[in-house]
Amino acid sequence: MKTSRRDFIKISTIAALALLGAKSYDLVVSRRLSESLLLEEAPVAGVKFVKTFGGMCGALCGIQVGVDGNGRPRVVFPIKEHPQKGLCGRCASAPWLWDNPLRLKKPMVRVGERGEGKFREVDWDTALNSIASKLKEIVDKYGYKAIAITHHDAWTYYMSLFSYLFGTSNVISHVGMCHAAGTVARGHVFSAGGPPSIDPDYENASFLLLVSRTLSTASMGAVHRAMTNERLEIVVVDPRMPEVGFANVKWIPIIPGTDAAFALSIIYVLLEEGLYNADFLKKYSNAPFLIKPDGKPLTEADIVEGGDARKYIVFDAKDKKLKDHREAVDPDLWYVGEATLKDGTKIEVKTALTLLKERASKYKPEEAERITGIKAGDIRWVARKLALKNGVVHDTWYISRNGNDYDDVRALLIINALLGNIDKPGGLCFQESARFPSVITVKTVEGKRVAETVYGATMPEELFGDVTQPRVDRAKYKLTPAQFDAVLDAILEEKPYPVKALFVIGTSPLMRDMNTRKVIEAYKKLELLVVIDILPTDDAGYADYVLPDTIFLERDEMTSTKWTLHAVVQKQSKVVDPPEGFDVRDALWIMFEIARRAFPERAKALGWDDKYANYKAYEEEFLHKLDDSIISRLAATWKIDKEKLEKALEEEGYYVLKRKEYYVRPYKTALGTPSGKVEIYSLAALGAGLDPLPDYIPPPAYTLPRAPNEFYLVNGKGPLTSVHASLMEPMKFVGDRSVWMNPRDAERLGIRDGDMIELESIDMGLKAMARVKVTEGVREGVLFTYSTMWGRISKLLPEGHFAMEGINPNLFAKGYVIPIVGGGASNSSVRVRKL
Amino acid sequence: MRLAFVWDSRRCIGCMACVIACASANHPELLREAKPNPQWNWLGGNIRVVVRDVGGRPVLRLVSCQHCDNPPCVHACPTGASYIDERTGFVRLDPSKCVGCKACVVACPYGARWLHPVTMLPEKCPGPFCSEIKKAVCAEVCPAGARLVGDLDDPESPVNEVLRKYKTERMLEHLGTEPKWFIITG
Repeated sequence: MKTSRRDFIKISTIAALALLGAKSYDLVVSRRLSESLLLEEAPVAGVKFVKTFGGMCGALCGIQVGVDGNGRPRVVFPIKEHPQKGLCGRCASAPWLWDNPLRLKKPMVRVGERGEGKFREVDWDTALNSIASKLKEIVDKYGYKAIAITHHDAWTYYMSLFSYLFGTSNVISHVGMCHAAGTVARGHVFSAGGPPSIDPDYENASFLLLVSRTLSTASMGAVHRAMTNERLEIVVVDPRMPEVGFANVKWIPIIPGTDAAFALSIIYVLLEEGLYNADFLKKYSNAPFLIKPDGKPLTEADIVEGGDARKYIVFDAKDKKLKDHREAVDPDLWYVGEATLKDGTKIEVKTALTLLKERASKYKPEEAERITGIKAGDIRWVARKLALKNGVVHDTWYISRNGNDYDDVRALLIINALLGNIDKPGGLCFQESARFPSVITVKTVEGKRVAETVYGATMPEELFGDVTQPRVDRAKYKLTPAQFDAVLDAILEEKPYPVKALFVIGTSPLMRDMNTRKVIEAYKKLELLVVIDILPTDDAGYADYVLPDTIFLERDEMTSTKWTLHAVVQKQSKVVDPPEGFDVRDALWIMFEIARRAFPERAKALGWDDKYANYKAYEEEFLHKLDDSIISRLAATWKIDKEKLEKALEEEGYYVLKRKEYYVRPYKTALGTPSGKVEIYSLAALGAGLDPLPDYIPPPAYTLPRAPNEFYLVNGKGPLTSVHASLMEPMKFVGDRSVWMNPRDAERLGIRDGDMIELESIDMGLKAMARVKVTEGVREGVLFTYSTMWGRISKLLPEGHFAMEGINPNLFAKGYVIPIVGGGASNSSVRVRKL
Repeated sequence: MRLAFVWDSRRCIGCMACVIACASANHPELLREAKPNPQWNWLGGNIRVVVRDVGGRPVLRLVSCQHCDNPPCVHACPTGASYIDERTGFVRLDPSKCVGCKACVVACPYGARWLHPVTMLPEKCPGPFCSEIKKAVCAEVCPAGARLVGDLDDPESPVNEVLRKYKTERMLEHLGTEPKWFIITG
């Protein structure tokens, strides 16, 4: 047998790599060079594909993972028929996560000062017992409410279970730094929830306006539907060009923090030029409601003795009478006139739409151009396109940026209402609910409340602990879906009560939350900080205990499919076991085991038997019972055969429970808003002490840049954004750790592409260094950098790790929270100096 | 058979799935050690990302072997190691004939070849994993439906369908390389 040059090289390489202690270089060995590409499809010898869903971010796209003969994940493909098929750079790098040298392998206890990064590996029993003992001490002194848990996407389903397990209401997610303001706005206008409870119907849309939203972050299913829709025209409005701008997309740069002025200007053009859907507004919105001079709606209670305050009055153009909106034949959208109150007083009333137009008139395109930097002609063009092409405006997602974002989203949602393109093909649609069973629900049995888990365990009211106490964030921001900044306040100021123990599960407040310095101060004041994660985040460096979690490839899980309008359930199948030497555990097991040791009666009530301390028993019995209960519940809810559902989840990875049914809300089913209609004039906002109409206010979250060397520092997400994925090796090359600067700014300041600059926060005085990328992808006067990726400070990372380069924009964000709404703000302003 | 690649620049959102998947599938031995492909100072994969400001905004191009019908790398190769595979029309490398002279690397006007830092072989598309599974990983993973591979000699092939339907261009066509790598531009 002849030895070819390549064979020789292979042999030498293998020997060299073996010397280097490398683990798997089978690829070099197994090359079959005699075969050519694409003659016919054939599975590669030994590579098996397992259908699952991606866990590199919260989108959970339908993927299949190819595992080679050595049991190593090698490649990730989409599941082609999946309703949310696709993957981006994050899931493409999942094969590196499995045996990544950075992965947390064993429980660790801190031995140095907080943040010093000195830890000692311990066994699970030692770690769990110590944590349990400290927790008991804290609870004895301060109550269960002194425990807080924060998380992002991993293990989200179980968070309400953890709340009962630890007797605390303080389970507070990342949402305050993501979509909180948008979610409150969605609730106020459409009584919808977080994204994507409403979402554009990408595959049928003809014109899509994305304001401060990039499709290239998460939801690759949405990307597929949008990009393969040949009729779809997309316009992006953003201070920087998001990656979706690489496609055939019109990008309009906007001055940061002025989205509301842009949206209100669009509203003005639609109303002024008669480009609104009058029929929709009359029947399905509160546009014709008459509003009193005090801003409150005129109701039957105002005009008739003993009248009903829930009967909102409109002017019926048919018989020229004031009447209940449900009885009017032709509600006048533009009525302005007198109404006589029950005591005989006459007041002037105007329709909600009239008030909206008065508000929007402050932002005629020429005025909006001055505020937003977008040409008046472009504003009119977008407005007319939206109307003439029956367009749709995206309801936004990551929006916690400038402190005025609630009004941005409300105004954008109102544009959709004016177009009347709601729950129709190609419009802004309500997602069909998968009616996925909650892991825990509270019932009343014989006058007493009982918490019941999906798998049938019950906890009596006596064991609720502080679950019913007000959450620290809602005590401060009553409408917020979540605002972690209030947890920091509770740690630092002990108001409304002290928080002393914090669990950080699969997330990184140091990267995620604004004002990094405040997070560090709070961490230092805690009595117990436990980080459960897969990689050494910055937060792990400050923890008392670091507990290694499993990765999504190593576990079974079920969930509803997130980014589709259909009701779909999907299954994550275990692709691989943890690599040898990785003593990792599911966070679910970890939390139960801490509770079993600290509060045995709580764990027991929630169905945790002592035998589950054995991890194998947990995997084989507890998880089996849990999965079986969820499937049984889904099968019963949807009246489908359980075996059929199980088989589909096993073989296909997903099951479509119900396809999207259009023209339901608000047409056949009333909305959950106070009026039951789409509210262009938000009665819920009014009730909460907020302006019922959106308005533009200059960004309150930071001092506006003024001097020639001062800039807005804006941040955003991209297809690689993830606290975890950004530590994978491919990101060393593909990840952009620079700060973007417009070429005209660069020329003015004598800065060239690749130069190092110093950024100094105008509000905080902090300084950091970064490399500049000179690009037309950001508008003049603005700097851009990716969020939650770079500028790492963890001492658990190897010295000089590439993720330490670049900046964490939250370092400069001073920590502004929108009152009542509770949305945070991650943008800031900085001075620039060339180094 | 003359296999060709089509990349739809109108659909590509620069998500990097193809770039990372190509590297991860074809050259994981480089990434685990975080060794760069020295030619491009880039990850060890066959797709290079080029972004340039054109007309006031950044424009993206993904560059890999263009599988030219008139390939300069093949003409430059002194040993016949670089050749056109008649069964597929792809430009390939026979490592048993490669003497490591790097003439192909220099000759390629697209800069599509890169030297493997361990084997020193001039790597290019298609990589070994793609060859083995007989699928182009980049086309398989693309979430935007922006990538396609098919036979130019087959009139029914989806590639010919899109070439008939859309405006396309080929990179550095004026050099007469006859690349079989089409970019849909409109």
